[in-house]
Amino acid sequence: MRRLIPLLLIAAMSAGARKFYDDDPLEREPKPRRVEQVKSRKLSDYYDLFSHQFGKVGEKQPKKGPPIRARAVNTLGEPLQGAWWEKRHYYRTMSNEELIRGPGDGNAPADGPWTVISAKTEGITPGFVMRDSRKRLYFVKFDPISNPEIATSADAITSRLFYALGYHVPQNYLVYFTEDRLVLGENVEVKDSRGRPRKMTRRDLVEIMIKVPRTADGKYRATASLGLPGRPAGPPRYYGTRADDPNDVVPHEHRRDQRGLHVFAAWTSHDDSRAINNLDTLVEENGLKYVKHFQLDFGSTLGSASSKVNSPRSGVYFFSWKESAISLFSLGLHVPYWAHAKYPDYPSVGRFEWKVFDPERWVPEYPNPAFLNRLPDDEFWAAKQAMAISDDNLRALVSTGQLTDKAAEKWLTECLIERRNKIGRAYFRKLLPLDQFAIVNGRLEWVDLSEKHGFGGAGPVSVEWSAFDNETEKRTPIEGAASASLPPMNGDGYWVAGLTSTKIPSHKISVYLRKRGGVPQIVGIDRQW
Amino acid sequence: MTVKTGTLIFCSVLLCSGQETRTAEIERQRDEKARELKPEDVSKGERFLRDIKERKYLERVASGYNGLRAKIGNMVTGGGFALGPEYFREDFLRGQLTTRASAQFSTRGYRKYEAEAILPRLAGDHLFLNAIASRRTYRGIQYHGPGPDSSRSRTNYLLEDTSIDGIAAVKPGRFLKLGGSLGGLWVNVGPGQDSRFASSEQVFTPAQAPGIDRQTNFFRYGTFGQFDYRDSAAGPKSGGNYVMQFSWFRDQQLSLYSFRRLDIDLQQYVPFFNRSRILALRARTTLTDTDAGNLVPFYLQPFLGGSDDLRGFRPFRFSDRNSMVLNAEYRWEVFSGLDGAIFVDGGKVFPRRGFLNFRDLEGSAGFGLRFNVQNATFLRIDVGFSHEGFQVWFKFNDVFNQRRFGTTTGQPVY
Repeated sequence: MRRLIPLLLIAAMSAGARKFYDDDPLEREPKPRRVEQVKSRKLSDYYDLFSHQFGKVGEKQPKKGPPIRARAVNTLGEPLQGAWWEKRHYYRTMSNEELIRGPGDGNAPADGPWTVISAKTEGITPGFVMRDSRKRLYFVKFDPISNPEIATSADAITSRLFYALGYHVPQNYLVYFTEDRLVLGENVEVKDSRGRPRKMTRRDLVEIMIKVPRTADGKYRATASLGLPGRPAGPPRYYGTRADDPNDVVPHEHRRDQRGLHVFAAWTSHDDSRAINNLDTLVEENGLKYVKHFQLDFGSTLGSASSKVNSPRSGVYFFSWKESAISLFSLGLHVPYWAHAKYPDYPSVGRFEWKVFDPERWVPEYPNPAFLNRLPDDEFWAAKQAMAISDDNLRALVSTGQLTDKAAEKWLTECLIERRNKIGRAYFRKLLPLDQFAIVNGRLEWVDLSEKHGFGGAGPVSVEWSAFDNETEKRTPIEGAASASLPPMNGDGYWVAGLTSTKIPSHKISVYLRKRGGVPQIVGIDRQW
Repeated sequence: MTVKTGTLIFCSVLLCSGQETRTAEIERQRDEKARELKPEDVSKGERFLRDIKERKYLERVASGYNGLRAKIGNMVTGGGFALGPEYFREDFLRGQLTTRASAQFSTRGYRKYEAEAILPRLAGDHLFLNAIASRRTYRGIQYHGPGPDSSRSRTNYLLEDTSIDGIAAVKPGRFLKLGGSLGGLWVNVGPGQDSRFASSEQVFTPAQAPGIDRQTNFFRYGTFGQFDYRDSAAGPKSGGNYVMQFSWFRDQQLSLYSFRRLDIDLQQYVPFFNRSRILALRARTTLTDTDAGNLVPFYLQPFLGGSDDLRGFRPFRFSDRNSMVLNAEYRWEVFSGLDGAIFVDGGKVFPRRGFLNFRDLEGSAGFGLRFNVQNATFLRIDVGFSHEGFQVWFKFNDVFNQRRFGTTTGQPVY
């Protein structure tokens, strides 16, 4: 056995250099391992803030040497579909109806009474949990009385937008109801201001509704968020992995779907994008239990801070040593960029604008390890998805917010369009923005996303073909093969097209082809910048 | 590095047989993870912070045991650190009635007893009722003598008073509050007990400091109006607060010290650069008036100097029958929990209302820091400079503290 180990090791090492496996590119995560038990644990938002702001969490990009590329992606650079993310609008254009439907539209609260089974009586915007007449569970959240429609519209719009971008989100329904529909459940407890539990009374319910704005016809407007499938297991962090989930093998700060989330958070001003606004649940699908990861609570997006208008500081950290020192010692004469933003007075939108917005400068309220680790290819992956959501799509999505003020709705749409365009411009220029590679009639074809979206295009691209050794990764240039036409490919094997921007030669893409049974197939894409 | 033989064999067999797949690679990672599974949990530090919030430990400490809690601070400047028990309930009459009673003792021997009942939200938040009683023993209130040219050297006097007041106010609109007050004030002043300074009656005559030799009791009543459209009372960044209060003090014993008092306090907060910069302005004046043969007792005269008006001067530095003060403060956001501030203060005391003008103002200037959370200032540090030196202030409130309506309790002195 001892003699066998070195031999096996050599074999493993030599074979381990292989770039592509037979099943590449994977579309989905392999079928998850069965998970019997996960612990539902709550996080501390204070700890999250302090540990992320002042501590070291997750594995950061090295200051020198090659960066850590995103993981949990296939050889084409696309995240594997599964527990975290699914291919949606960019990969298969969704109709406006599908976008409006989002994760579902067939589970709105049923007619009949709503039985309140728990409540949050404190705070500026209280809410409650109820079961409808079909015993389905909903989390009911309201707008602040100072800004009707602001949080409920943000929740409706952004949850559907994030669904279109591939994330798992809850089904959120905008509902209008009168107080007589609410029935207090038996033995419902609430906690008083000192945390002491006591039996909830009808008066508590009345006091909740006093703090809630009403529509012109006297109804209450709320988001009814359908309870997520499965058993809640607490929020996933933006770093590390869950210790009790065998399927969670890639540190979250290195997942492309989490790194790229930065771009979507910037787009929607989701500065509250922190762990406690996500949730893992232990779901059972086709008889298999596994942990699924959801994005939640979009009420603090698009200019809203859920209980009030968002702070004008949105897009900068609560605290930064450098910025604080500059501000302190300049006596405030150094004015930060966000302070120049001008916000029109739309109470149902809050502080949302596009003129000062800069996707490269935008950050959430405090450092997020996944966001900080993003690389240009992570940003490109996100930007191409954002740009795929057309103006018309955005108008359809914004309509789900059911804003009464049509000028506010128009402004919100304009902001989303212009912020999206800024994202496209910013991230398409950081690398060669070619995508959607295909082999058509013996040619390698692609789409220049910068050109497609009117940002000027990437310019001319040179192509060089090489034969590719999958075991050694050695490239052997093919003489005379310098166009998009596929070179002569004798037998099965691997070839690579090296695409180089003539404007910025460091911007390169390698497109790998594999020929099996006489049919060439694109098997991998590497981007350099 | 430890290489597990089983894994290696599995891996190599797959590779050598050409069966290696991406799926197998992922499965191998899952295998490794599966062997090391453990319950997902949080660290002790995180659990501690989580429980503080979830179980409302701070709220429980603040609310005390069955309403009994510690009351810290809030003694007059110079009184030292104060501590004492307070009984506080806000759950009577279904939360409509708030009551409290407290006793405080300071490191300098000052004592303060208070009892209060408040009905803050009657008639749909349009009516406010408040009854308050207090007993204070301040052993060494500082006094520099009357007038704008008073000496820098300090004296001190004993102030003992008992007061009972009732206050009622209506809110006819969102920003407007109108009300009145009625109460009694029983005062005793005597030799100061702070041995660092001379006692006031040894330095000043009754002509200079009316009432220093004879004490009396007052029946007092007043009206007030407030238009307050600040965005936050605890840490305003925009809006204004305009207050006027007119009070009558009737000497019940000697008929020598009856007077009228007018307090006007105008505050304006001008935000710019998206509220990251604030210009805070205040103009405040207190004017008194007497009938013929009456005087304003020195301990009820307005004073200037201290953390809320002339910040480059000692507390109670100037006092006379009338006062005015102007403050301008430029604040800028350092980060979301801290503002920097640069300020200038100008003010004076004067014997007659005819001197109400901008001449001969005492000036001070300085800088400071305002620590805030959720739009409320919880700590203010100011360093004020004047021709008399500099003062450093640590205060747990926002600058331009508003005078309470119709009562002296909670005031620095009156």
